[in-house]
Amino acid sequence: MTDVAAAPDTTSVEEPGPGARLIASLFRFQSLFGLVVVFVAAVAYSPVRNGELVFLNSQNLFNVVRSISEIGILAVGMTLVILIGGIDLSVGSVLGLASVGAASLLMVNDLGVAAAVALVLLIGLGFGLLQGFAVAKFGIQAFIVTLAGMQIARGLARIWSGGQGISITYGDGPANAPVAFSLLGERTFNGLVPIPALIFLVVAALAVVLLRVSAFSRHVYAIGGNEKAARLSGVPVTRVKIAVFGICGLLAALAGIVHAGQLNFGAPNDGAMYELDAIAAVVIGGTSLMGGRGSVVGTVAGALLVGVLRNILALNNIDSNIQLLIIGLVIVLAAGLQRLRPASAGT
Amino acid sequence: MDSSTGAGVEMLRVSKSFGGVHAVREVDFAIRPGEVHALLGENGAGKSTLMKVLSGEVGGYTGEIHVDGEAVRLAGPVDAQRAGIAMIHQELDLVPALSVAENVFLGREPRTRLGTVDRRRMARETRALLQRTGVDLDPTRPVEQLRTGEQQLVTIARALGLEARFLLMDEPTSALSDREVRRLFAVIGELRAIGTGIVYISHRMDEIGRIADRATVLRNGSVVAEFEARSMTAAQASEAMVGRPVEQMFRTAADTVAAEDGELLRVENLAVRPRRPRSGRREPAGISLTVRRGEIVGLAGLLGSGRTELLETLFGVGPPGERGGEVLLEGRPLRLRGPRQALAAGIAYLPEDRRIAGLALEHSVLANTVLSVVGRIARAGVVRRSAERSLTARIVEQLGIKLSSQDAPVGSLSGGNQQKVVLGRNLLTEPKLLLLDEPTRGVDVGAKAEIYRLLGRVAATGVGVLLASSEPAELVGVCDRVVVLRDGRSVRELRTDEVGEAELLAASMGSVEVTA
Repeated sequence: MTDVAAAPDTTSVEEPGPGARLIASLFRFQSLFGLVVVFVAAVAYSPVRNGELVFLNSQNLFNVVRSISEIGILAVGMTLVILIGGIDLSVGSVLGLASVGAASLLMVNDLGVAAAVALVLLIGLGFGLLQGFAVAKFGIQAFIVTLAGMQIARGLARIWSGGQGISITYGDGPANAPVAFSLLGERTFNGLVPIPALIFLVVAALAVVLLRVSAFSRHVYAIGGNEKAARLSGVPVTRVKIAVFGICGLLAALAGIVHAGQLNFGAPNDGAMYELDAIAAVVIGGTSLMGGRGSVVGTVAGALLVGVLRNILALNNIDSNIQLLIIGLVIVLAAGLQRLRPASAGT
Repeated sequence: MDSSTGAGVEMLRVSKSFGGVHAVREVDFAIRPGEVHALLGENGAGKSTLMKVLSGEVGGYTGEIHVDGEAVRLAGPVDAQRAGIAMIHQELDLVPALSVAENVFLGREPRTRLGTVDRRRMARETRALLQRTGVDLDPTRPVEQLRTGEQQLVTIARALGLEARFLLMDEPTSALSDREVRRLFAVIGELRAIGTGIVYISHRMDEIGRIADRATVLRNGSVVAEFEARSMTAAQASEAMVGRPVEQMFRTAADTVAAEDGELLRVENLAVRPRRPRSGRREPAGISLTVRRGEIVGLAGLLGSGRTELLETLFGVGPPGERGGEVLLEGRPLRLRGPRQALAAGIAYLPEDRRIAGLALEHSVLANTVLSVVGRIARAGVVRRSAERSLTARIVEQLGIKLSSQDAPVGSLSGGNQQKVVLGRNLLTEPKLLLLDEPTRGVDVGAKAEIYRLLGRVAATGVGVLLASSEPAELVGVCDRVVVLRDGRSVRELRTDEVGEAELLAASMGSVEVTA
């Protein structure tokens, strides 16, 4: 806009005051502040057992992280897709496909853990790349492409498993999976940190660093901010889009492997609606569905916020249906807060 | 208070601030029936805000507004409509997917007796309104298929349909060709004759004298001068707007180094037959021109003559299709495949509308400035912060961009400074050839002069510039040569040291006998 009313005039440009800057950062990191608020509330309302706050028990806290690890991994990939102004509805189905794939490759095809994991990750990557190709090359809307992808991945999962789930049993012989795979689900790192939580945190940390420092991330943000301008500025828009969908598919497959590990079961019908939980975490994290604005830090905080909220409600024996209502309200609240964002923090 | 003087709109000591920034300060302003009142000022001077107070789009102002002697409170657009005030926005507020007629009658669709929308009447009345603005458009065509200038005419037709008593026009001519501007002025004359009060915002100084009765100049939100429009000189007006005398507007002979011999770009009989022709576009249909190193070549022509399409084709972003003729860059055939290849070949492009195709407005000045080179200044994929900061600082200094910090959203800058950011991004790619499409549209006088001087300096370093513009004064003042396009063909080439604006205009419109 050439004559933005609120724009400072050209001769005297004012530095935003510390107050304005604080407000801007409050909005920018709203989910972090929301997380702190929910955390404090959780401490305050935590039931007490043996003189100890149940919520703050380290076992409980790590279980919170474990409970959101799958959604969290999906949400990290979803953040990238949403940042370029897209959406990926297929991640829940890809998670189901990957869990079946991992179980089947381990139990039926007798592959080793590394080979099975690598193959499943490749399948997820390939699936995402294909969707990205359809979006970027043919200009079909991401919503449509991934809606189709959602059906296709679910169908593949059911065909691969023959419609039945595949149990994973551990042992040395054929028709047994190597014990190493059980690491994913049951074991903990140093007896405390659950491996799924660890995987989620590592993925999130990598994504945070990627989005902070890489030229790739500048291209991602630029495409979301103004795709046409990005293209004219020489940003390899097609390539970046395909890569982003590829990463999202890869992470969905990783979440599926974790899922299989946690359940010791490859479940073709699992992961339904996970895509919406992932989108919810992204939105609560303050990432704009219009693209170009948001962060993985926000998404991680958003996922944790939902996890903590669910946990404290469950600890207080709140009905799970009421929990749904509360989570829904939090999503609306988060989106509403974004609308109040001051203009200086982005028009 | 009742100090008003009867007919018309009167604003008394009106102020409006946004978050502590005074956009409009204690302004007295009046619109009289049957009068065209020009409102002048640089970008950010508060013109649009003042008008948005009148159209009810920004509430929360202080001061008084009287309409025909009666105090009114304009809290929303409905209040303004009731007071008979309508506004034509600078940013085209049309619904792209709806048809011309649907846009013209948006929100007040005529009904048949059955309660359905009376499409026939809508089309008929739209056609009549469009005719008044002098454009022949199919009322059923979706607005998104129209060129910017045609869209602007649609917004004007819509405002006419409202039959407002007071019409606020915010830069209505910024995308119009000269012929369309003349037609618009005739319409304004008719409106004035029937007693409509008109506020006219424009950056084009020559228009003010032709059309306005009075002129008010705003600077930093306050009224700084008032003129009888007919006796006002451009120098007086610019001086009031900028607050100091405007130095030489265009480049001087000293800036113009003798263009080197080296021929940079040669276009021979370029023609494009797109695989899927899009309506409203005029693809090149036989264009020949050359640009030498250090030379600024202008592209003149009416709206729809194919200026933008030529630049897009040269940058490789035109529609795919069959291509005839030849394009040589430094003597080598240029394969026009896309922006990345074009940039790699040393071509940079400044698109027509910076808000649509130039900038991510919410992103920082820094992110927008280095976007084209961010891959190149990365090491192993990691952006070097210090490098991008210093590159941005260099551009900010070199182009005189006024900003609070490199991290400020580029959308918070004034139009001129936004344009400099796009230009700065182009320069960072170290182009050999610079393609510019309306580089000073929506840019205030001060920034315009700076951009012209900058182009002179850039050309002096041996860069060839191809500049498309709808402002004859700009083409004559800035360019060494001007190529005139008509219907996608190059029909004439003029040396600007030999011809003036009038000849250029005549050649664009085809009144000078030439053949392609």
